[in-house]
Amino acid sequence: MPQNAVKRGDTVLEVRGITKRFPGIIANDDIDFDIKAGEIHAILGENGAGKTTLMKILFGLHQPDEGGIYVHGEKVNFRSPLDAIHLGIGMVHQNRRLIPAHTVIENIVLGHPRAGTILDLKRTGEEISELCDRYGFKVDLKAKVWQLSEGEKQVVEILKALYRGAKILILDEPTSALAPPETKKLLASIKIMTGDELAVVPFITHKLPIVLTISDRVTVLRRGKVTAHLKTADATENSLAQEMVGREVIFRLERVEVEKGKPILQVENLSGLNDKGALALRGVSFSVHEGEILGIAGVSGNGQQVLAEVLAGLRRALGGNVFLDRINITHCSALQRWLKGMGYIPSDRIDVGSIGDYSLAENVFMNYYFDDEFSKWGIVDSIKVRRLTEELISEYGVVAPGSDTTAKSLSGGNLQKLILARVLSRKPRLLIANLPTQGLDVGATEFVQNKLLEAKKERAGILLISEDLDEILSLSDRVAPIYEGEFMGIIPVEQAKREDIGAMMAGLKPQVART
Amino acid sequence: MKLGGYEVKLEKKLKVTGWEAAIISILAILVALALVSLIFLQAGVNPLVGYKAIFSYAFANLFGLPLTINRSVFILLCTCAFIVPMRAGLWNIGMAGQLYAGALGAFAVALAFGAKGSQGMNLAPAIVIPSMMVGAVLGGGLIGAIPGFLKGRLNTNEIVVTMMLNSIAFWLVSYMIKEGGPFMGGGGEGEGYKLPQSIYAPLILGGPFTIPIALGLAGLLHFMFARTKTGYQIKAYGLSPSAARYAGISAYNVPLLVFLIGGIVSGLAGYHYFAALPGVFKITRNYGDLGDLSFYGIICGLISQGNPLAAIPIALLFGGLTNGGRFVQGQLKIGFGIDYALLGVLMITLVAFQFFYRHSIVWHKSRRES
Amino acid sequence: MWEFVARSLDASTIFTIAALGELIGQRSGILNVGIEGIMLFGATMGFIVAKSTGSYLLGFLAAIAIGALIALLHGFFSITLGGDQVVNGMGIWILGFGLTAYVGYPFTGPLGMERIPEIVGLSPFFYVGVALIVITWWVFSKMNLGLRIRSVGENPSVAVVSGIDVTRTRYLSVVASGMLMGLAGAIYSLNYNPVWSINFLLGWGFIALALVFFSMWNPFILLGGSILFGSLWQLSLNPQLLFPDVLSRYIWRTIPFIMTIGVLVLMSTQWFSSRWGAAKPEALGQPYEEG
Repeated sequence: MPQNAVKRGDTVLEVRGITKRFPGIIANDDIDFDIKAGEIHAILGENGAGKTTLMKILFGLHQPDEGGIYVHGEKVNFRSPLDAIHLGIGMVHQNRRLIPAHTVIENIVLGHPRAGTILDLKRTGEEISELCDRYGFKVDLKAKVWQLSEGEKQVVEILKALYRGAKILILDEPTSALAPPETKKLLASIKIMTGDELAVVPFITHKLPIVLTISDRVTVLRRGKVTAHLKTADATENSLAQEMVGREVIFRLERVEVEKGKPILQVENLSGLNDKGALALRGVSFSVHEGEILGIAGVSGNGQQVLAEVLAGLRRALGGNVFLDRINITHCSALQRWLKGMGYIPSDRIDVGSIGDYSLAENVFMNYYFDDEFSKWGIVDSIKVRRLTEELISEYGVVAPGSDTTAKSLSGGNLQKLILARVLSRKPRLLIANLPTQGLDVGATEFVQNKLLEAKKERAGILLISEDLDEILSLSDRVAPIYEGEFMGIIPVEQAKREDIGAMMAGLKPQVART
Repeated sequence: MKLGGYEVKLEKKLKVTGWEAAIISILAILVALALVSLIFLQAGVNPLVGYKAIFSYAFANLFGLPLTINRSVFILLCTCAFIVPMRAGLWNIGMAGQLYAGALGAFAVALAFGAKGSQGMNLAPAIVIPSMMVGAVLGGGLIGAIPGFLKGRLNTNEIVVTMMLNSIAFWLVSYMIKEGGPFMGGGGEGEGYKLPQSIYAPLILGGPFTIPIALGLAGLLHFMFARTKTGYQIKAYGLSPSAARYAGISAYNVPLLVFLIGGIVSGLAGYHYFAALPGVFKITRNYGDLGDLSFYGIICGLISQGNPLAAIPIALLFGGLTNGGRFVQGQLKIGFGIDYALLGVLMITLVAFQFFYRHSIVWHKSRRES
Repeated sequence: MWEFVARSLDASTIFTIAALGELIGQRSGILNVGIEGIMLFGATMGFIVAKSTGSYLLGFLAAIAIGALIALLHGFFSITLGGDQVVNGMGIWILGFGLTAYVGYPFTGPLGMERIPEIVGLSPFFYVGVALIVITWWVFSKMNLGLRIRSVGENPSVAVVSGIDVTRTRYLSVVASGMLMGLAGAIYSLNYNPVWSINFLLGWGFIALALVFFSMWNPFILLGGSILFGSLWQLSLNPQLLFPDVLSRYIWRTIPFIMTIGVLVLMSTQWFSSRWGAAKPEALGQPYEEG
């Protein structure tokens, strides 16, 4: 690989006519673009536009059906990530490809050809420190990765790619898990990298402002095809959004006003441990009223999951109290909470929210097996269950051949609709919705959000946990940013400014009064 | 992989129908029988002759058939004991220990009613026999409940616990029937005492009454899984423990319940073999062989895919094979332990065929248009 | 008294080596609950070959070879076919249990060969065991190979994008583990208790499995645990050494098994389980699928 010959502006990577098909769908359709040394070239597209497939092809995890990849003008064939790594392509994944139990150095050196039979961790550490100094990264090399924050983990992945000699750095959603201050630091480091003639290719879904701030050029994907190549200077947020979605994009839902009732949920000083035994929830106190949506905004890993599980009865509280309509349910089992009118929509719809090998009717029964209406003397009235399931399927528009199909054959959106149907049909007085629209396409997301508003109209109290700040701001009545297990404030949505909430999510104290 | 103008691929299956599963299971059995015929060959015996001898003794012989049926019932009970925890996603390989405990329980009750003494029983058989069964149920249930309780409360590995209990119960039985233990029989042969005739198990149609009980139990368990709330919860826990917990199904109670049932059914198997079979009526000196036979419950359970009714014909088949195998090994000079070899080969064949439950071989025309 | 200690250490050797084999396999993410099966194969084949040829060396080599072969089978089912590893392990166990009962029966009885000479009063295999423990520790903490194996066991998809061949690494570990288990079985049948009978390993393979969990995948804790269990085993066979005339000898035989259950219960306590969860190779027992 000709290293010295590369100048800023040279084409280092070219993609011509890349096509990739999967059963029933063309994920990438005749894609062309080029990457130049020293530039930041953003690839933009919605979920399902084909970004993930394209990334995997560039990194050797998939083979294209047609077309070719050219590195420095020569056609290359990646049979595995190893080939891509050899040619200087490095990838930083969204779902961290790191080993939490190992140290930073061990992760960086894993699989490195120069690692030798016996590991010389001291020398490796020195070399990595040099890289850190050069690009402005700060991370404790001896720490175990599970102890690091999301931003630090991303730094480790970047260092790993750089240490392997990457000259083209592919970043998968680099800022989605970062709070604003960390984003700033990352962008600064990226600028230094491009100064070294590296090329940086971020793949981004919807952080349009980031795209405009940082990139030199943008390529937009929609439904597997390239719809635009732009110089960033020529683009605006709206023009990019249009290219992505193909129609006028409406950013806000219609607000629903409901008169707030009494508090249905009261939480006092609740704390809890995460799976590693660390304190993830530090004494939060709040209440949720009938007919209101309290939105918990936070970057994942700040205690929301633990909060949801403690409230649902799936995790023991370390301390504090939970009152449902003034009854202390802190030590009640999950079943008792369902019986008392709590409903929980879990973030993991496949492994927790449903049983893939059970039929749709059997899945609906998950919330009805304790209901005497549906079983007499222990024997299940399966006809009644099936009838209920068919009603729910049609009411919620679940696309499926019948109530006997297995749940695992449903798409993500349909599965979430089924779960929603099942939980909401019990008319819960308190609904906990944990990342309810995660991974869903635009249509399904809209559906779910409307159903939440309907539940609000029926005077349920709703606790909404989401990583999507837009979703929180458009649905909630009050917003509570969470950071490292604490609420940074509880703010009525009229007073909530996007920048302030974003800052609080990153742990910065607001200038806004608490409620 | 390409063959001619077609592409052969392995694809994940979304669902296995009952028929597909049955065909795969039958194929597995046939392959295993074919592999075991290698052992026949190695001993200089024509496999077809060998198998014919086995099957004719097992199923067509006046003495062999009842023995086959008795064995099959034993295997059926062990299978049910394996199946119930299996549907909950748990492994019960402790049938041996549970059946030993059941036998101890039954004989303890009989002893308490004076069965060992020479003056005869002081209570009517109509009371003693059911009490003995209760003893078997308690003994097996207690030993069975331990791994279930530990799994539910502490998430301890049930495979190791059940295996350990097998050994513990094994030595307990030795203690009871050998070297002056409380159940020792009079002959000084290191075996348990023999039951007096008055409490021999009553016969129905020439076979011990445990036969219809076992069949009824299999039917009952099948009904439980197919149509009851309890069965639904057990299956849910087995398919997805985290989803079951989410739905409020108790992760404490399900393991305890299924192992309790498993222990009880195994205990009944112990009662069946040691206290109800004509010609036995005592804990025999080589009681360990029965523990070994109980492992057939594992294979039978896997083949029947957890369906207690499907287990009935399969248990019958294995009862016949093991019975015939033992009889024939002396006759044809094959060497001791052909039934053990069959056990081993069957199990590994079945494990290999697990692959086909999840994948199907699919033929595509090459060069599909988009 | 020394005799008791010596025999305890001899017994512990077998636990050590078998459990070490499983530790290596588990570190790469492969769970094998059929340790007993592989040990039975090693013990039986080693016994048969040694008795037939009169050579200890050939016996041990045969045991190691069959151990590798059977482990390869387990590897094929678990790695290439991606099946349920617990089911596969059960299959390996029953296969071993069944086949060795048949194959070994004609050889029932004592080995009838001169015993392998001891070194400083202990069987030479004790030292082999300790050496293997140290080597394993060193490989895992200081060598690149160890890092690669550990990574494959923690997160194979990360290993893949780092350029490591997950399949090859796992097969290597599994075969190594099978060799050790076969060796341990042969030590039992050729050195510790050279008399063949059906199922003569009496559940030691399962105790070894428990030991691996107990050790939290640390070779030195494993060594300590093995010594403890070796001592318990010796005690159960000769209770008169410490407790003359208390309880029938049959009851004493149950002690090691009761203790194993006790150890497992201990491991469920809070102190243990959080450390255990952290030490556990995250991908243990999960088949890896490409893409």
